[in-house]
Amino acid sequence: MALRSVQGDGLTSSRWDGGAEKTDFNAKRKKKVAEIHQALNSDPTDVAALRRMAISEGGLLTDEIRRKVWPELLNVNTSEPPPISGKDLRQMSKDYQQVLLDVRRSLRRFPPGMPDEQREGLQEELIDIILLILERNPQLHYYQGYHDIVVTFLLVVGERLATSLVEKLSTHHLRDFMDPTMDNTKHILNYLMPIIDRVNPELHDFMQSAEVGTIFALSWLITWFGHVLSDFRHVVRLYDFFLACHPLMPIYFAAVIVLHREQEVLDCDCDMASVHHLLSQIPQDLPYETLISRAGDLFVQFPPSELARAAAAQQQAERTAASTFKDFELASAQQRPDMVLRQRFRGLVRTEDRTKDVLTKPRTNRFVKLAVMGLTVALGAAALAVVKSALEWAPKFQLQLFP
Amino acid sequence: MASEMESSLEASFSSSGAASGTPGFLPPARSRIFKIIVIGDSNVGKTCLTYRFCAGRFPDRTEATIGVDFRERAVEIDGERIKIQLWDTAGQERFRKSMVQHYYRNVHAVVFVYDMTNMASFHSLPSWIEECKQHLLASDIPRILVGNKCDLRSAIQVPTDLAQKFADTHSMPLFETSAKNPNDNDHVEAIFMTLAHKLKSHKPLMLSQPPDNGIILKPEPKPAMTCWC
Repeated sequence: MALRSVQGDGLTSSRWDGGAEKTDFNAKRKKKVAEIHQALNSDPTDVAALRRMAISEGGLLTDEIRRKVWPELLNVNTSEPPPISGKDLRQMSKDYQQVLLDVRRSLRRFPPGMPDEQREGLQEELIDIILLILERNPQLHYYQGYHDIVVTFLLVVGERLATSLVEKLSTHHLRDFMDPTMDNTKHILNYLMPIIDRVNPELHDFMQSAEVGTIFALSWLITWFGHVLSDFRHVVRLYDFFLACHPLMPIYFAAVIVLHREQEVLDCDCDMASVHHLLSQIPQDLPYETLISRAGDLFVQFPPSELARAAAAQQQAERTAASTFKDFELASAQQRPDMVLRQRFRGLVRTEDRTKDVLTKPRTNRFVKLAVMGLTVALGAAALAVVKSALEWAPKFQLQLFP
Repeated sequence: MASEMESSLEASFSSSGAASGTPGFLPPARSRIFKIIVIGDSNVGKTCLTYRFCAGRFPDRTEATIGVDFRERAVEIDGERIKIQLWDTAGQERFRKSMVQHYYRNVHAVVFVYDMTNMASFHSLPSWIEECKQHLLASDIPRILVGNKCDLRSAIQVPTDLAQKFADTHSMPLFETSAKNPNDNDHVEAIFMTLAHKLKSHKPLMLSQPPDNGIILKPEPKPAMTCWC
């Protein structure tokens, strides 16, 4: 139903800029607002529908809607009083100095026209929120860039709700970034090259030869692009998307950006400096809707469980069995949001042929290979072993695709 | 080790994609590249220093550096065109361990930065030096120590003689400067150019000798220590 029409929009999104379709745009927008409110008002709240809305073209559209929907996506009860602390956290917190330094320097995150006084007030709130969350969750460790995430919530939902939402987010989506070390963060970055390899081996090989590493995408990942995008509307649009998806979605989106810039990368000198420099300067005029849709498709085609092994292999030498196991856990945990993407993808099967050309180069259509193997599974244990890592995904997924 | 040497040569001599394994690119223009990594605590001014050198001015506003930023400037030294690449790193400790490591590869020089108005940033230097030792294969890589923010005279916490003693102990020249001070645009420039000159004069040694061959670059006997603000 609604799902299908939204997907159709996604495919033509690049043409949305044309003035001729403005009326069309407004009509769709109106329809979407109505659908979101319907999902919000149904009893119980239709969270799956809200996820779809957050992912599909335009995301949640307005901050007013975000204030209502983000708590639902994070399963936060807005009627509960927000957490508070009676202690003087600025005196006690070991992170205060670092947080203060980072927040003070975060002027760019605030709307350009905002009066200094108002901005300074918000910066104080930002510090309070961060310190409070850290105090309530001693297992979490502050990282530079966390403040970029918190400020986004503060600006959209205000201090009271931001505290609850970010606290939830910090113990879920951001959890791996907040370990005592950044080993897990590094490991998540290791998903980047395997995704690129699946879609565009030539680009992957070029980047490997350049030894560019993945640090150019670090700030993208750990700030959900809040640190690098100057237009706040783009930031919140991405937050809609990421809040509705698997915690690893930002790395798929990072891959999609790199893939989108294929030609620029290949035109670059094949050395670390040139490629790092190019990629770390993120273009501000990216076709966000197209890229979001593509990232969703890639996630379904090459789910984390399938990439986990390749990602682990990226730094095999350094990894222990325990942490590799953790990666598998990570890859398979918290996958509920993905159901939405998978359902969304089901509608896309008919148009799959069209998108396939854009998405994958010949060598790498693992998606098809996987499906064929899936059919062969019944024939022997050998085949089963091959698809084992994808099995947790396979049953429902393939049934949907090949009914 | 041989391959390490080879890639170091590559980084030094190729400016137009002549890396092995990617044939079909333009031949190298043979302009040398000096890769310099800038490290030190959060908020000591690493970004401002590198920005000042590469863009010629103090940035309007800077933010926390997340991961590693890269800036580059071409200079001419004794008639030779040289590219100076500055790798500006995140200051927060958690980024050092697993993140920045990759970018120590093939560096030709290291700039340690502390904030003259912040004693803690000075006290962190030994751990930065240790960190650096672990990542760098060769022990003969030129290193310099930069005390930043010398324009904030009334707030100075790190006395020059203390810093000088420390620099001497670690065989590094010390420079006290300010990336911000508008009255002296040239000082930051002079620091990096001094380093570049040093690299240029010692470059053949670094390239032709394996790292463990015992060629040690003599540190400046009398380091150029002055605050030119």
